[in-house]
Amino acid sequence: MNVISCSIKTLKGLYDISGVEVGQHLYWQIGGLQVHAQVLITSWVVIAILLGSVILAVRNPQTIPTGGQNFFEYVLEFIRDLSKTQIGEEYGPWVPFIGTMFLFIFVSNWSGALLPWKIIQLPHGELAAPTNDINTTVALALLTSVAYFYAGLSKKGLGYFGKYIQPTPILLPINILEDFTKPLSLSFRLFGNILADELVVVVLVSLVPSVVPIPVMFLGLFTSGIQALIFATLAAAYIGESMEGHH
Amino acid sequence: MSSTVMASAPSFTSTSQQFLSRVAPPCPIQLPTVSVIARAAHENGGKPRLPSRLLKRLALSSRPAAIAAAAAAMVAASPLPALAEQIEKAALFDFNLTLPLIAIEFLLLMVALDKIYFTPLGKFMDERDSSIRAKLSDVKDTSGEVKELEDKAAAVMKAARAEISAALNQMKKESSAELEQKLAEGRKGVEAELAEALRNLERQKEETIKSLDTQIAALSDEIVKKVLPTV
Repeated sequence: MNVISCSIKTLKGLYDISGVEVGQHLYWQIGGLQVHAQVLITSWVVIAILLGSVILAVRNPQTIPTGGQNFFEYVLEFIRDLSKTQIGEEYGPWVPFIGTMFLFIFVSNWSGALLPWKIIQLPHGELAAPTNDINTTVALALLTSVAYFYAGLSKKGLGYFGKYIQPTPILLPINILEDFTKPLSLSFRLFGNILADELVVVVLVSLVPSVVPIPVMFLGLFTSGIQALIFATLAAAYIGESMEGHH
Repeated sequence: MSSTVMASAPSFTSTSQQFLSRVAPPCPIQLPTVSVIARAAHENGGKPRLPSRLLKRLALSSRPAAIAAAAAAMVAASPLPALAEQIEKAALFDFNLTLPLIAIEFLLLMVALDKIYFTPLGKFMDERDSSIRAKLSDVKDTSGEVKELEDKAAAVMKAARAEISAALNQMKKESSAELEQKLAEGRKGVEAELAEALRNLERQKEETIKSLDTQIAALSDEIVKKVLPTV
């Protein structure tokens, strides 16, 4: 009994030291179902940032771009390039999906690192990047799955399912398994990276509140950008893979 | 889409509960406590409650077994409640309505961004691209025109040059003929003068010779007189 209470005390001590509120949520009740309010709030902020900056920058396009328009043209070129490399010549209709995926994840991740969410106190949990919550990442990953199924089915009809017995029917189980591992790996990679990044920063700040966490914060920014790029690239790659011909 | 999500949600919640029980500190007494509280909280609509309130609620529900279990748990692990509550709430893999809501938000964002960003700006950029291309090809066309003009200019230059050289040749020919004529005239004049001078010279020579002859005769007479004195 002593041992148990002791170990619990240490655990609690560690828990208090870190000051981390992992997996704490502010719950809202909508029609008998629960939602994580902090995720929705931050996602609204992210969407507002995206829409606001885009409207401001692209409201009145000039032939010779300056400032914001230049930046957003660069972003669009980047997304088009990414989609084109992954999907191929028929990338056009997929640019909005890939682009929104990239921008939403990128702005979400960076908002978690850059916006001072902690100023706003919640009764439970805390505001953080929306991608910090498994619901968000799974939603995005499932949308990606739906997208690549739609891409394959619209391109090849029911012949799309022929890919499951390519190159041999022996690989059928593995091919089916792939459809489950794709969203799983997508969502958990993003979720784990962002959560771990924020945890590392918070723990380091609580241990050494000056200078030391700064490189880790920059590393976090870097990781966040890379994760957004990886998610968008993989989504495009999956879509391209389901659209390409199997012979 | 949303129906599949909803269908998959229950299985996720069950895994999340398993995860919770695994996350809890590894001690035999603590596990039931967490599960009891968690279950009670679940009955309560997922809202985490403080153990004291939970106890009250259990007492009101008049279930002796539950009261006993909760009381036993409370007595057995007095430092637990705070941590137990925290861990019970620490739902890392807590799937609920947030998932479809985020999906819907994402789709709306995609449509909005497509309407105000991707399609208009993309179209604008493509149009600018094609207009620049058209202008470039226009410039290439005018370069052909320039070449034509250059050719024309070269032809004009050539014609002018030929004309000039023809005129030059003619002038040269004319002037050389004139020159030759003058030269011939000059030569003729010189020759005539020369012939006259030669003639004059000849005449003078003859005259000189004639006068010399008379002088020789007189001289020979004098010499004879002197040599033969009184003939």
